[in-house]
Amino acid sequence: MSFFGFEQNDLEREKQQFISGQVKEDGLAEYTWGEDSYDGLGDALQEGGDDLNDETFGGVGEVGKDFDFTRQVLSDNVPAELRRTTAVQQSNGFPQERSLSPPQKQAPSSYTSSSLQSLWDSKSPFSVLPRGFASTSRVDDHHVRAAASPDLLSHSQSAYPTFSPFADMAAPVTHSPALSQESIFPRASSQMEGRTLQEIEAEMRASAVRSREAPQLRQQQLLQAQARTPPPRLHPHAQSPRFHQLQQHILIQQQQQQKQQQQQLQDLQEQLRAEELERQLRAQQISQLQQQQLLLRRQSPSGPTLAEIQAAQHLAQLQQEQRRRQRSPAADQRYHVPQPLQESAQFLPQNIQMQQRLLAELAQAEFIREYGTPQTQEEQEALRAEAVRKIMEAERMEEKRRRKAAKIAHMSRYNDLMTQSDKDFITRIQVSQLVTQDPYLEDWYCQTWNQIIRAKQGLQPEEQRVLTFDSGVGVGLGIPGQRPSGRKLSAVQRMEAQVERIVNNARQREKEKGLQSLSSLQGALGKTAGRSYKAAPRQLLQVDSPRPAANGDHSEDEYKTDFEVHAAKEAAKLRKGVLGEMHDEHNFVRRDPLTHLEVLAIIEHLYDLVLQLGAIERYDLSEDVEGANERREQRKRLVDSLYEGLRANLPIETSNPHPFISLLGPMKGKVLFPRVAHVLEEDQLLIVLTLLITCLTQLDVVAGAHLLDSMEDTPERRDMERQTNAFQHYVLIVSVLHALQKVTLRELTGILRLLRDQGQIVTIARTKPGLDLLFLLLSRADLLIHTHTYDLGADSTPQLSMEDVEVWQSEFDLMFSALHPHLTELFPSERILRAQSGGSAQIPPEHMDTAAWQFLASVGAMASLPQQQMLVTALREKVLDLVIGVKKGWVADSEERDMKTKNVNTFLHALKLDSSQIAV
Amino acid sequence: MLIFSVFKTLTDQRVTVELKNDLSITGTLKSVDQFLNIRLDGIKVLDEQRYPHMMAVRNCFIRGSVVRYVQIPKEHVDVQLLEDATRREAANTVKR
Repeated sequence: MSFFGFEQNDLEREKQQFISGQVKEDGLAEYTWGEDSYDGLGDALQEGGDDLNDETFGGVGEVGKDFDFTRQVLSDNVPAELRRTTAVQQSNGFPQERSLSPPQKQAPSSYTSSSLQSLWDSKSPFSVLPRGFASTSRVDDHHVRAAASPDLLSHSQSAYPTFSPFADMAAPVTHSPALSQESIFPRASSQMEGRTLQEIEAEMRASAVRSREAPQLRQQQLLQAQARTPPPRLHPHAQSPRFHQLQQHILIQQQQQQKQQQQQLQDLQEQLRAEELERQLRAQQISQLQQQQLLLRRQSPSGPTLAEIQAAQHLAQLQQEQRRRQRSPAADQRYHVPQPLQESAQFLPQNIQMQQRLLAELAQAEFIREYGTPQTQEEQEALRAEAVRKIMEAERMEEKRRRKAAKIAHMSRYNDLMTQSDKDFITRIQVSQLVTQDPYLEDWYCQTWNQIIRAKQGLQPEEQRVLTFDSGVGVGLGIPGQRPSGRKLSAVQRMEAQVERIVNNARQREKEKGLQSLSSLQGALGKTAGRSYKAAPRQLLQVDSPRPAANGDHSEDEYKTDFEVHAAKEAAKLRKGVLGEMHDEHNFVRRDPLTHLEVLAIIEHLYDLVLQLGAIERYDLSEDVEGANERREQRKRLVDSLYEGLRANLPIETSNPHPFISLLGPMKGKVLFPRVAHVLEEDQLLIVLTLLITCLTQLDVVAGAHLLDSMEDTPERRDMERQTNAFQHYVLIVSVLHALQKVTLRELTGILRLLRDQGQIVTIARTKPGLDLLFLLLSRADLLIHTHTYDLGADSTPQLSMEDVEVWQSEFDLMFSALHPHLTELFPSERILRAQSGGSAQIPPEHMDTAAWQFLASVGAMASLPQQQMLVTALREKVLDLVIGVKKGWVADSEERDMKTKNVNTFLHALKLDSSQIAV
Repeated sequence: MLIFSVFKTLTDQRVTVELKNDLSITGTLKSVDQFLNIRLDGIKVLDEQRYPHMMAVRNCFIRGSVVRYVQIPKEHVDVQLLEDATRREAANTVKR
């Protein structure tokens, strides 16, 4: 860069100069062959193998110029040897230059020569100058200087055409290195000086004719020429004889093409000449304009004026046009055919630079035009700031866009790497692992879960979401949920198609297998290694089980043997009865209660049965379906074995607790109960229910109910609470309540009597499950009696005889009288308070008493008037306690208060009273 | 493939996947395949202090083999049904 037009000394340039040979170091050896000062010592050298040097280096006569690509466009007459060296040209100067274009005289010859040098020196094999320096960068630097300094720029007027790629076409004599070497070839130079376009054309035409007339001769000539003068650029390789052969081969081929080319080239040349003339004219115009502009700028340093803008625009237009022309196909072809790419590249930086400068100016001009001529400094500043901001924004956007594009490009690198069939193939592999014989069973959890969810949402149970084919093979599709749409739908459809294909293929294979015996081919290709492919590790712990079958069958077998043994004993007992022996409890086959392990095994077995039943119930059991009878049979069998599995028909005294009660012990037994109760026949269910009530005291939740009568939070208590809740939920509410729906009053009476007969009704009533059960019984009886009383016309309810009601009433009276002395004991809170030792009394939460209040309410509703009075008297204190406690605000917790009021009212309402009637 | 079936019912639920490298990722279950590869959306790593590099990650695909545990929401699992399903599975495996 320069400042105030002074050239700056920079190292880079000096280096380049040095490299290009402009600056010479003292210590550096100087070789000057080809120049006038050459001492000719090289010729005096006596060496072997020099005989053909002249031929090799083109010292003899006229040589064909077929390899001279740069000159192909021009006439054949121009000999190729002309450009033997560049050093010659340098020292000789440019006489034609002076004569042809006067303005170029002004141009310092160092520029022109350096530009020419840049074309030639580093390329010529004959050049002594250090190589490996890109000539382009030199030119670049050159133009940077030219463009930046106004003083230097003025030279560009003359320098510019020099660098135009076509300068050597329009004024070929001027800058073509080949043509400027008149010192070696005077003929060429002298001819050239006076030649006109017509002359050149005529020459070319003549040469074309010649070449057509004597191709043979020409070829020989060319071969000769080739042998003697390898093209400079190829020279380093030319030593290899093989390379020569190759070259000759190429030469022949090329020659054949040449005829064709020549015709083309002639046409092109004419076109180019016309273009070039025009271009020169324009170039001159441009440089003039540039000069003008510079002048203008100097005049108005604040910014470009309108004139400048116009000039710049004009300039840009011209420039563009010129560029277009340069890119015209004719120019391109001409340019690229004869010359290597590197050389063409030399001209680009200059053009680009010009372009950029012009564009920048143009942009500025446009901006100013857009915003009007700025009036004040501030406005100008503001505008400038605005412009900067806008430019920054635009740059940011551009950057953003570019980054996005880059990202997309990066990601899309692998687009379409897989075809659709590839994808399908992979999908097939994946899906094939999911295809099973029974898709519903495989996907059972998901399917059932969906059904349950849908049922909960009140939706219609949908058909199973499984893809099945005629043999039942298929895939579970999972959640139906929302209907698949769009892409998802097509994906599902594709998968369906895939599955179908898999299934069909599998079937096809089966068939093929069937045709040819499988065994004949098995192992034909060698044996595969044992289980190396299996992922499962070898089992370290190998427990010998007595039976090969695992859990399910195990318990079943056990159960069967059990049952057989028992049946034999029963038979023996019956025989005894027949023989008139008294029913002897002690003589009866007593057994130990089931152990916990046995209980669990039996429960699991029962679960299996239930599940099998469930599997059967999936199918339609109506008459007309094929196989329905079979299924019904199977179902019956399963239900029977289920009932037997419950052991409900074993005598009550079999063990304590009874096996059935034992089964209700664990949580999963309680959970299982409603499901079993659901499938059992009515009479079976009644037996089970009776057994349950009979053996109620044996139940873990009844036997251990005293654990709940404490405020301490022990694990046992927590467990008991859990079990109690489970019992209440699964056994009482779900099963017993369900079973009681079908129970008549007489049966209810029987059940109540059973309870009372054990003499443990007070014990039972003091437990939560017991209270709940009694409550259920009483409310059911109440309902039956009342529907009978008020709804006589209803056909659905069985007619109650007065006798039944009376029996029930007397049974109730008995129960009442049994419970009456212990009424307050029914409240867990009372029991807890009594158990606690005075001082540190904790008040138990009211919700514990809810069951008791409910039961008492049902008792009160059922009771006769005197019984009600007895009830009120007994509970008077308790009721008053609660009501006063609530009304006087002794109970801080509002929830607790509400609960107390609610509980009292539950009871009082049954007696047609209300807590509000109680005056405090 | 009981577990696969179970996971199918859990799509679009928040689950926590514990990986064998102690990384715990909570996210919305988008899909599961037969290898129990898991795709999660809107993920959050449990211990962000320890794994700051995971903060920028919004969704992920987890290879089934690197999963140690998956914590599933209790309210979306029918325990009894699951018990039955396991019984079924066990019964079927015995049969085979």
